[in-house]
Amino acid sequence: MAGAALEARDVGMQFGGLAALSEVSFTVAPGEIRGLIGPNGAGKTTLFNCITGFYHPTSGKLLLDGTAIEGLAAHEVSALGVSRTFQNIRLFANMTAIENVLAGHHRHIHSGGREVVRIRHPSGNRLVDIARRVPAVPLAAIAGVVEIAGAVGRPAGVRKAEAAALEEARNLLGAVGLEGRENLIARNLPYGDQRRLELARALATRPRLLLLDEPTAGMNPQESGAMVGLIRRIRDQFETTIVLIEHQMRVVMGVCEQITVLDYGRKISEGSPAEVQHDPRVIEAYLGTRAIAGGRRDAAP
Amino acid sequence: MPEIRRQLLRLRANTWERLPAALRPFTWFLISLAVLIIPTFDDVWMRMFFLVALYATLGMGLNVVVGLAGLLDLGFVAFFATGAYVVAMLGSPVSPAVSGTLNYWFLLPLAIGVGALVGLLLGLPVLPLRGDYLAIVTLGFGEIIRILALNMDNYTRGSQGLFEIHKPDLGFRHIDDVRSFYVLVVVAALAVWFVTSRLRESRVGRAWEAIREDEDVAAAMGINTTKYKLMAFATGASVGALGGAIFAPFIDFVAPQSFTLIVSINVIALVIIGGMGSTQGVFAGALLLIGVPELLQFQETADFLKHFGWLRDVINALISGFNTITFLDVDKLPPAEDWGEKLALYRFIVFGALLVLVMVLRPSGLFPSKRREREFARREEEPVPEGTAV
Repeated sequence: MAGAALEARDVGMQFGGLAALSEVSFTVAPGEIRGLIGPNGAGKTTLFNCITGFYHPTSGKLLLDGTAIEGLAAHEVSALGVSRTFQNIRLFANMTAIENVLAGHHRHIHSGGREVVRIRHPSGNRLVDIARRVPAVPLAAIAGVVEIAGAVGRPAGVRKAEAAALEEARNLLGAVGLEGRENLIARNLPYGDQRRLELARALATRPRLLLLDEPTAGMNPQESGAMVGLIRRIRDQFETTIVLIEHQMRVVMGVCEQITVLDYGRKISEGSPAEVQHDPRVIEAYLGTRAIAGGRRDAAP
Repeated sequence: MPEIRRQLLRLRANTWERLPAALRPFTWFLISLAVLIIPTFDDVWMRMFFLVALYATLGMGLNVVVGLAGLLDLGFVAFFATGAYVVAMLGSPVSPAVSGTLNYWFLLPLAIGVGALVGLLLGLPVLPLRGDYLAIVTLGFGEIIRILALNMDNYTRGSQGLFEIHKPDLGFRHIDDVRSFYVLVVVAALAVWFVTSRLRESRVGRAWEAIREDEDVAAAMGINTTKYKLMAFATGASVGALGGAIFAPFIDFVAPQSFTLIVSINVIALVIIGGMGSTQGVFAGALLLIGVPELLQFQETADFLKHFGWLRDVINALISGFNTITFLDVDKLPPAEDWGEKLALYRFIVFGALLVLVMVLRPSGLFPSKRREREFARREEEPVPEGTAV
């Protein structure tokens, strides 16, 4: 058991007249570290948003270990084992480091073991989807009352689950190098620590697929180097597949086993770091072409 | 484990926990003394204390919705009215809805349950809304309930109201005077305090706070935001209904004109003035917002002001000095015996000035929760320290 396999089949995401993604297909093997690169606006983050249920792709399929996940709600995707970090760090800013991790643990802090989330795949018709949920409402209401009663009454089961979660949260903070900072407010942490905390929070959901959106953005070379080591360690220790968006070529080449390149919402190249580096289409996307008539850009960042 | 648990608790420390340990028993003593002395006041004062405790209870309920889950609800009166009408419609002999009355101790949990249900009903359509839009819709909902009560006069008797509401009976004591109602509402307030503080420090409370901080990320971390937002609405609403269910037999006249927008505004204002998210703050806010306007018109206040004849002389001397220098003709102050009457007349001006003063001096409220304090601190300091440890 080493993470989950991710497969994208002709994924398309249309915003009005803008095709942010079109016909993107790729397969990530279990336990792989996959890099996702491309110029700004290529659709990398959009792809992450499609995988995590923030957006629902307008066409195509996304499969996590063979289970379709496109169109599911974000918390359902998370329950299936997908977690992520964000390009612009999005912590629960006014909560402490350990509370952030505990919030990530949410689904696993339950007196009856893991919280059961029933995944309902969308039928394509919104009204049908709503109607299908109706029979579950009384049960959900009872579950809500029971949960509140548990939180107020704090029976032994709840206390035990809380204690276990606290222990695990502390271990996670240790694993990303934040021991001793449990009780600092997330907002007050140094930038690098905030990135690490986001990682710890993502790991707290016990992911089988971890999506990292520019994990080294804004870091100096030493910090980036440490992050690369951390990412590898996480893959081995937590047995998860990792897909990461990255701009720093040193990081991409250093940590990724396979790389997928996007440009204008399309996959333009795929392969090992060395192959991708020499692919003329990739060079064109990044640097532009001067003499070729079909050149779309004179210069790219 | 216990060590980190303690750390976690310390970080949750509020005003009370920051108090030196030696002073705590003394403070407890003072608080209990104050609570015990209260029933010796006369009925006018008891009425004020009852209202303060009632609004504090409502404030704690709203605090769950606004302070914890971050859902700005401006229609809290709807749930207050629901609780009151459940008790009045089923517990009043004049009620056209049912013949005969039901026992209060049966109606109270029923009111809480119906309140939670109404909370869900409001919660469902407003789920996708955030911020200002949510505030507007909840505001409208508060009005809808009042207008519904006004127009469904087959059931509610409209503006004629319901009265002779069945009073709670403990067997050994019939709760029908202000003092007993005060005790009842204090018991309710303590129960709500217990429930909300336990919820705050649980998985549910953390989920609510995560939703308040960033709803999308909360969902990505596996929190079913729909479920927890509805739970917040239902919890807050049931507390509101509890308040209404106690208010109805106390006031013994339930009519739409008791459930206007001003109730919602008072509750949200006392939550903000007290310090959003903090429980002591709710009590302080209720005392200031509900207690002070009443206090300003009490006979005792007028009697007290009579002792300030000397102050009047000083100020009048200053005014005549000012008049001679500037050739203006500023009126002298009336005799101190009249101050009480004037104060009662102009109490809302004094009250308004007091509120402005509080918000200027303590922008995050009287007793801000630590978290709220932090949020305000953010604007003043640049907290990210140098030297990122790697």
